Amino acid sequence: MTRARVLVGVVALAVVAGVAGAQGSYPTRPITLVVPFPPGGVADLTARPVAAALEKVLKIPVGVVNKTGAAGAVGMQYVATSRPDGYTLLLALSSISIIPEADKIFGRPPAFTVEQFAPIALVSADPTVLVVRAESPWKTAREFIEDAQKRPGQMSYSSSGVYGTLHMAMALLEHGASVKLRHVPYAGAGPALTAILGGHVDALASGPAVVLPHLKAGKLRALAGWGDTRVAALPDVPTFKELGYPEAEFYIWAGVFAGKGTPEPILTRLRDAMRQVVNDPDFKGAMDKLETPIVFKQGDDFQRFFDADARRLAAGVRRVGRIETK
Amino acid sequence: MLTTNRVAAVALAVLAVLVLFESRKLPLGSLHNPGPAYMPVLLALALLAFAILVAVYGGAGRGLSAVGWSEWRHAAAILGTCAFAAIALERLGYRLTMAVSLAFLIGVIERQGVILTLALAVTVAAGSYFLFDTLLRVPLPRGPFGL
Amino acid sequence: MAETVHNLLLGFSVALSPPVLLYAFVGCVVGTIVGVLPGVGPLAGISLLLPATFGLDATKAIVMLAGIYYGAMYGGSTTSILMRIPGEAASVMTCIDGYAMARKGRAGAALAIAAVGSYVAGTVSVVALMFLAPPLASFALRFGPPEYFALLILGLLVLAYMSSGSMVKALAMATLGLLLGMIGIDQMTGYFRFAYGVVELGDGIGVVPVAVGLFGLSEILATAGQETPPAVIKPTLRELLPSRQEWKESIWPIGRGTVLGFLIGIIPGSAHIISSFVSYAVERRLSRRPEEFGHGAVAGVAGPESANNSATSGAFVPMLALGVPSGPIPAVMLAAMMVHGVSPGPLLIKQQPELFWGFIASMYVGNVVLLILNLPLVGVFVNLLRVPYPLLYPGILVFCILGVYAVNSSVVDVWIMLVMGLVGYLLRKLDFEPAPIVLGVILAPMIEMALRQSLAMSDGHYAIFLTRPIATTLLTVGVLLVLLSLKSLVTRGLDWRARIAMAEKGEEL
Repeated sequence: MTRARVLVGVVALAVVAGVAGAQGSYPTRPITLVVPFPPGGVADLTARPVAAALEKVLKIPVGVVNKTGAAGAVGMQYVATSRPDGYTLLLALSSISIIPEADKIFGRPPAFTVEQFAPIALVSADPTVLVVRAESPWKTAREFIEDAQKRPGQMSYSSSGVYGTLHMAMALLEHGASVKLRHVPYAGAGPALTAILGGHVDALASGPAVVLPHLKAGKLRALAGWGDTRVAALPDVPTFKELGYPEAEFYIWAGVFAGKGTPEPILTRLRDAMRQVVNDPDFKGAMDKLETPIVFKQGDDFQRFFDADARRLAAGVRRVGRIETK
Repeated sequence: MLTTNRVAAVALAVLAVLVLFESRKLPLGSLHNPGPAYMPVLLALALLAFAILVAVYGGAGRGLSAVGWSEWRHAAAILGTCAFAAIALERLGYRLTMAVSLAFLIGVIERQGVILTLALAVTVAAGSYFLFDTLLRVPLPRGPFGL
Repeated sequence: MAETVHNLLLGFSVALSPPVLLYAFVGCVVGTIVGVLPGVGPLAGISLLLPATFGLDATKAIVMLAGIYYGAMYGGSTTSILMRIPGEAASVMTCIDGYAMARKGRAGAALAIAAVGSYVAGTVSVVALMFLAPPLASFALRFGPPEYFALLILGLLVLAYMSSGSMVKALAMATLGLLLGMIGIDQMTGYFRFAYGVVELGDGIGVVPVAVGLFGLSEILATAGQETPPAVIKPTLRELLPSRQEWKESIWPIGRGTVLGFLIGIIPGSAHIISSFVSYAVERRLSRRPEEFGHGAVAGVAGPESANNSATSGAFVPMLALGVPSGPIPAVMLAAMMVHGVSPGPLLIKQQPELFWGFIASMYVGNVVLLILNLPLVGVFVNLLRVPYPLLYPGILVFCILGVYAVNSSVVDVWIMLVMGLVGYLLRKLDFEPAPIVLGVILAPMIEMALRQSLAMSDGHYAIFLTRPIATTLLTVGVLLVLLSLKSLVTRGLDWRARIAMAEKGEEL
């Protein structure tokens, strides 16, 4: 086992050294794109077209591997501790900034930290939207918030799980609008959607693509969005920012990362490749079908977005704190 | 009398106590708002109760001495192979790991001929890899030299 | 009605067109291959193979996925019967009587009954899906956490019929399983429980490694080193087919399993896994000779196998009628639709009738294809038993490891299988039965989550279970069942369990 490890190490070192010497030689063998979520989820559905387009650009196979577990922590930790040689990449969602913060709150050694990753490119960033059932009494976000202020802790919402993305979105709104809602966590975004359609909770913060068919069918109503600007597919739905709650800003985003310590020439090569990926017609078509607009950022731009987002979420997690049990 | 039932009961009781002890770090919560430790503690208490019942009424079971252990060498070898596979799978890759495991079990443990051993080890390891990784695209780990 | 027939004709014209038929066939073959792999059931099967369908157009992709899914359902029983390795969590009950039948030389019969049962269940549940989907779907959505909790508590009553040994021992094993199910992140608060720094344990212990370890690996451990290796079984052609008696004993279990499975399957969530456990319990309760269960009762194969097939089609009801990801498998199918630009939702039937009805029709076609594919395969698979055990078990071990690893690409799952194999081996030595452990592992996270969600909904008031009609009804049924079984204990003195104990004592004396 150790000998094999040494062997792998030597081979990898040789490759890295070779790349550092002559920039053009990366990549020379297949690249693995790790998705820390199961097949069929948002991350997976974004990763597949990214991998396909990246394969075309780099002219080397790019395989997607779903390393699932612990709300994504398993796959993220795997990449964080992999050799930073540009052959193991990560497609992560917003939760990458939440997990280490939650670990901190519980005082456990973090599975990984955000500093262990080198951002390559942001691929999409969709603000969540607040939805309620069509037959519910709230016609606007303001009515919803006013009612919630009158009856603290009475109105309920479902989420994809504690400290999950959908929970954080609501937590930011609760703080921004000074309301207290009742949180009923579910195991994933799918069950959370089923819960609101079945009338077991009052509200849900959700990615727009998932609820769009139900909005069109008149089962749900969108009240407001968490974005900086309105969602393109929902032009009549205001943002919380417009309504005067600027703290309620939240995106479900997807980005590609490499391990920290990946040589700069390789990162540059990957960033160039990603720029070509987002302009690839097949990739655009795939994202269109998912009704997810491409939001492309890289370099300092992505770093700034990533940092701001991480700060917001860290504050959100801290504010939620440990879930109290009386 | 030391019966199989009583041996198992003691093991279960020890486990239950261990769970109770380990649950101390987690908040218990209340009946109206059960915390993370609530169910484990409840279940551990139930397990303890059942273990005591098994021990009390388990005198009629088979005596421990009646249990045969004649196959323990094989069992240990198989578990060892399994452990080797778990350790090696993501380091040596699927094909090497499985070929080595198969060769060990067929050749060393079951003492089959060298040719049969090698033929089976290589065919099953490479064949299953080809079927699942190459044809069905279920990603399996590769080792050094792309094996 | 006439409209449905018309639509169905449209569907068949899609499903029977040569290219679509080809993909349905490919899906069925691939599904069967993956399903035979221990551990990889329909969910893991279609998740793993989902990416392979991305290159196709929507109808072909969906039809192929449906084929993979059905194929994996059929394949799941094969290893359970031949090698006592559950192909998936829902096949655990099949391991018990199916394997017992195989050891008696009735492997062919068991496989054939499982295939026919799956066919009947698959076909009937598609008919039910077609006609009952809209009304049932809105009923299914009324199953919130309190209803779910009540249902699962009812599911626990199954335990009474799971083993032929002592009730206390079965309860102890179930409790052990429930405790194992507590490992991992507490979904209501985010605390890590009993994970000891192993991040992979965060999502808890998977049912697949536990089931494969407790049943499959422990079987190898106990068998491989025996002085006399298990006899090589050479089945003749006549023995491949079920006897008239076996058919007769299977008809009603298949029928009941189909209905039961469909009803349980409709409910959103993962409850469909317990359908095979419930079916086994029902068959044993209704059987005139419950003592045969565990020793190769054909009803113990026919019922659960039918139930788990129709349960997973039942799960499509809310998905197709409402576009709700009502369980893990429908969620993956919905994702597949989204990839192909089909917006899943209540408008799907109106906007893309050829896709919707093509899908329905392809389910009929897929079931026929699978029956034609599987019955001859029975002959092939049974021949595996001709391989001498010293050469067979290393191969089985490789496939166990492959199957368990492939589901999550996780070595930790292989370790869990290893530990569970050892536990299963020791339990077998100590005369404990492992099936209740698996039920416990399945139920624990669901029961706990449902209870605590319900309390979160009601702000800690248990009255929520008594104010919602469905939940109250289910709980009342549960209480009545418990009282009934107590009554029989008091009045008759001896129930079937005691009779079995008597019979076994008689054997020993």
